[in-house]
Amino acid sequence: MRHFFLILLGLTLLSGFSQAFAQEWGEVETAAKGQTVYFNAWGGSQPINEYIAWASGVVQKKYGVRVIHVKAADIGDVVSRILVEKAAKKHKNGSVDLMWINGENFKAMKENRLLYGPFSQKLPNYHLVDTENKKTVLYDFTISVDNMESPWGMAQLVFLYDTKPVPEHPKSMLDLLVFARENPGRFTYPALPGFHGTTFIKQALFELISDPDALNHPVIQSDFEKNTRPLWDYLDTLHSFLWRKGKVFPTSASQMLSLLNDNEIFISLSFNPNSASNAIENGELPDTVRTYIHTSGTIGNAHFVGIPFNSSAKKGAMVFANFLLSPEAQAKKADPEIWGDPTVLDIRKLTGKNKALFDAVPKGIATLTPNELGQVLPEPHVSWVQALEKKWLKRYSK
Amino acid sequence: MRLSRQEISRIFPVFVISLFCITVIAGLLGTLLPSMNYLPVIGNTRFSLSVWFDFFSYPGIQTSILVTLFSGLTASFGVVILALLFITVSYGNALWKFFEKILSSVLSIPHAAFAIGFGFLIAPSGWLIRMVSPGLTGFTYPPDWILLNDPAGISLAIALVIKEFPFLIMVTMGALGQLDIEKTLLTGRALGYKKEQIWLKILIPRLYPHLRLSIFAIIAYSLSVVDMAIILGPSSPPPLAVLILKWFNDPDMSFKLIAAAGSLFLFFIVLLSILSVYFIERSVGGFSRRWILNGSRHSFLGSFKRVIFFMGSCTIVFTLVSSVILVIWSLTWQWRFPDFLPDAWTLKFWTKGLVSSLDPVITTLFTGMAAAFIGLILTIGCLEHDVNSQKNQIRKNKASNYNKTLYYFLYLPLLVPQITFMTGIQLLLVIMKMDGYWITLMGSHLLFVLPYMFIVLSTTYQAFDRRLTDQAMLLKGSYTMVLFRIKLPMLLRPILFSFAIGFSVSVAQYIPTILVGAGKFSTITTEVVSIASGSDRRIIAVYALIQQFLPMMMYALAIIIPKSLYYNRKGMEV
Amino acid sequence: MSLELEKVSILKLGSTIFDPVNLVIKPGEITTVMGPSGCGKSTLLSAVSGSLDRAFTLNGSIRLYGRELLNQPMEERNIGILFQDDLLFPHMDIGSNLAFAIKEKTSRAQRNRIINKALKTAGLKGFEKRDPSSLSGGQKARISLLRSLLAEPAALLLDEPFSTLDQILKAKIRPFVFSQIRRMNIPALLVTHDPLDCPEGGMILNLKKEEG
Repeated sequence: MRHFFLILLGLTLLSGFSQAFAQEWGEVETAAKGQTVYFNAWGGSQPINEYIAWASGVVQKKYGVRVIHVKAADIGDVVSRILVEKAAKKHKNGSVDLMWINGENFKAMKENRLLYGPFSQKLPNYHLVDTENKKTVLYDFTISVDNMESPWGMAQLVFLYDTKPVPEHPKSMLDLLVFARENPGRFTYPALPGFHGTTFIKQALFELISDPDALNHPVIQSDFEKNTRPLWDYLDTLHSFLWRKGKVFPTSASQMLSLLNDNEIFISLSFNPNSASNAIENGELPDTVRTYIHTSGTIGNAHFVGIPFNSSAKKGAMVFANFLLSPEAQAKKADPEIWGDPTVLDIRKLTGKNKALFDAVPKGIATLTPNELGQVLPEPHVSWVQALEKKWLKRYSK
Repeated sequence: MRLSRQEISRIFPVFVISLFCITVIAGLLGTLLPSMNYLPVIGNTRFSLSVWFDFFSYPGIQTSILVTLFSGLTASFGVVILALLFITVSYGNALWKFFEKILSSVLSIPHAAFAIGFGFLIAPSGWLIRMVSPGLTGFTYPPDWILLNDPAGISLAIALVIKEFPFLIMVTMGALGQLDIEKTLLTGRALGYKKEQIWLKILIPRLYPHLRLSIFAIIAYSLSVVDMAIILGPSSPPPLAVLILKWFNDPDMSFKLIAAAGSLFLFFIVLLSILSVYFIERSVGGFSRRWILNGSRHSFLGSFKRVIFFMGSCTIVFTLVSSVILVIWSLTWQWRFPDFLPDAWTLKFWTKGLVSSLDPVITTLFTGMAAAFIGLILTIGCLEHDVNSQKNQIRKNKASNYNKTLYYFLYLPLLVPQITFMTGIQLLLVIMKMDGYWITLMGSHLLFVLPYMFIVLSTTYQAFDRRLTDQAMLLKGSYTMVLFRIKLPMLLRPILFSFAIGFSVSVAQYIPTILVGAGKFSTITTEVVSIASGSDRRIIAVYALIQQFLPMMMYALAIIIPKSLYYNRKGMEV
Repeated sequence: MSLELEKVSILKLGSTIFDPVNLVIKPGEITTVMGPSGCGKSTLLSAVSGSLDRAFTLNGSIRLYGRELLNQPMEERNIGILFQDDLLFPHMDIGSNLAFAIKEKTSRAQRNRIINKALKTAGLKGFEKRDPSSLSGGQKARISLLRSLLAEPAALLLDEPFSTLDQILKAKIRPFVFSQIRRMNIPALLVTHDPLDCPEGGMILNLKKEEG
């Protein structure tokens, strides 16, 4: 009897809960109608800009929320501005309602209390997110997300190579060094400090360090030298065979794409496993380019959208963030002909029409299957980033 | 008591000077405080010099400072010497006349657009090498040469010279009107001196003071340029201005402190350079007296003439070719090394680009035209005040003693690096809740538009024959009627030209729009910079060409309107 | 040592501006060219000095000391010009203005002596450091002449040199100019529309054009 009542109680609570949830969300949608959301996101990629324009159009029609894409050259600009607004005690009508962030920027905003939240748990589509297998949606740069930002897409370090001059691709960092020796000037990586370059270094450290487990823990100053010795030896040798002999570094991974197209380099890197396919579709790369990863697996993480503390269109922002998490939006995003950014959703949780959306997503000509993408390595503890960047600058930025 | 015309028109210079002073000083304060570790929003409330220590010990900072000085100063010296020699050997000849015609189109090309095109021209996978590969060079893949982004900043310096040269020539053309060149040349030649000698010994020493402030502005720009440095300059370490911008945008908030210190240090470098150049000018003046008076009539420039012609024309050629490359890229589908032209063309990017750039273009047009218009009113107001406050009749062509202090204050926003005081302004505006309004955005553009408009308009305005207005006033008796129906219509051409320049300066503003616009306003330039941070040259080219087109259109109007209005008035032709 | 013009005529767009000129000016002589405004007096002067505008064509022959001047560039002809504007360089003091005219390979001390002497002849002793704009019209005219003469020209051309001076000044300056020319013993060609400018005993040429 007791069990029956407990179950009944549980079910009632549950349904009440979900009812309350649905009702609450309904209120959000109503309040969001007519709001204008300034969505600050990097504007350097035309396919992404077009995707955002599409999403804005749908949200305007379906929910009456007007989304304006503010193209940022560097999201750091945007974070700065919000900080200034906080300093000036501007607690309402902030200039940013939603922003595309991850990693260090998220850490900075969270620590300085620049974010509104927790909010992502309120989004109906959030329960579709793959929190089990894609741990990086819960820990951004090993900082606990705590629902302060809503997941948007996945990223994993992959290498791109032109099969014409490079019939056999390297399978590890050491292989890469051999390649560089035989093809001097045909590989490089973006300058540090910078998200892309730093991750390449982290990957290298992961493969070269004698005790990989140390990366999961905070940096121990006394051991740092010993631990990173193999990395600096490796880089010292590699740099003499790099593009421009290591005297000039590209500023970003996207700049490297055009270097690859020009064949100034033969191997490049990216964080979007579909970027090669997307670029080929777009005419940005020749169709001889393919993707590969190292046999040890490569580092991966997620990217998110966040809401600043002083936005006055928070409800509208949440509605848009929720739409970005919808199967419809995620499937379209994953299509290499559109953008090719991997989904954060758990496809196994999808049924019927939603699942069909994902089945229909074409596989890019240069995209690896999920099997081929292999193991996603976790990010090292965030303290390693600063230490590595500092040391790299000291050694190579003279 | 009726106020005299002079007292009423005083409102113009007073307003302009106070606006400029307050803005720049406020901005500097906003930078000074964080540099002393005072930034309450991140918890720093204790003043300390530790920030400066951190700044000077940042890895690579010495190289960064040296690169900044090297590229900035060689570019500045290079462009000044090239310009002065160019005038000396080319004044009046066919090349000079060609320059006069083509100057405005060249000037209207924004710096970033030029840098992108130029970068593609000289890169190892760029057009110049493609022209001769694999034919002459045997390259099937681009060579691994450091032609761009070289660690010393040479390619950046060269690009700066190419970009600044037309500007300096334009300022010179304005100043030459005051100098009575023909007669001086005749006198000198009658005394037995060759033309070039007369230029070097007599005319350039007279010309230089008119160019002084513009040269200072060039020095300030070359040392603190950001967009061209990102595209063409070294990357590790980058020049100081680029480093500062990176720090400001770094997610680690404490970097804002050294960013503030860095930008003050940059300002200090600029100041020091300007003062040094001033002292060099004084001492060269002293040393050269002996040479000027030694009676030697020969010209040593003879053999250099060809070289100077060549270099002068190269600047124009490179600029135009950079635009051509952008046009080709905007129509490209696929263009790989070593093809001289794309092997697949498309209009896709133009159609996409024109549609998606519509909103920013509208914002740019409105802001630019408003800033130029208000700038025009203020400039003319200040210049009229000058005219009104002169007691004696000015002789035509004599340099008048107008209010020189006004001139120096006007140049203030051009001499202080933008990154140094604009961040302070941003903070102030947010506190005063004035950020994110179109009016403040336009006002921030006005700060930079006004000085250029004044430079361009003042020499022609001052040279206006007063007797015409005096005569008109005797006939009509109304100052305002004479101003609007006689004087300004006669000055239509220089006024429109000045308007076009003001407009193009507003179009090119990046940092003020980003900081003051609070993300609510996108101009074509913020779009270009954002898109240029990606790598698809095709869409970058489309946006850069749209960005170029806007000022060019204004310049074209500035030429066409007076021609059509005064088609039957030969006396209005220049 | 003379300046000779033989059958000199100047054409503009195919037609002559004035009838052919024939002139021989001996050293120390001053010939005046007169004629109504627009008759081409100044153009004739520019032809002699070598600064003829490209729109004009020159026919005939101009000789100085027997040497044909026709294809020589202006700065090599060694002919001085005096304009109606003094054209003193405003950014240099009087002394430097004069020094500029002196031939090279002259030592500084020698230059100063020359300048001193010249200023004394003009009655402007001690004016070396003065700013040109602080001088009166008559003083400037004198300095201007001194400067032209210090270059030791072989001939002197004067283009309405006194027209900016009032009658009283003219009466003072004229004789000074003429006496200097005679002292230097060089031929001089003077263009003016004021008959009072003609030196005594000097030849007068009336520039005219045959209607026909």
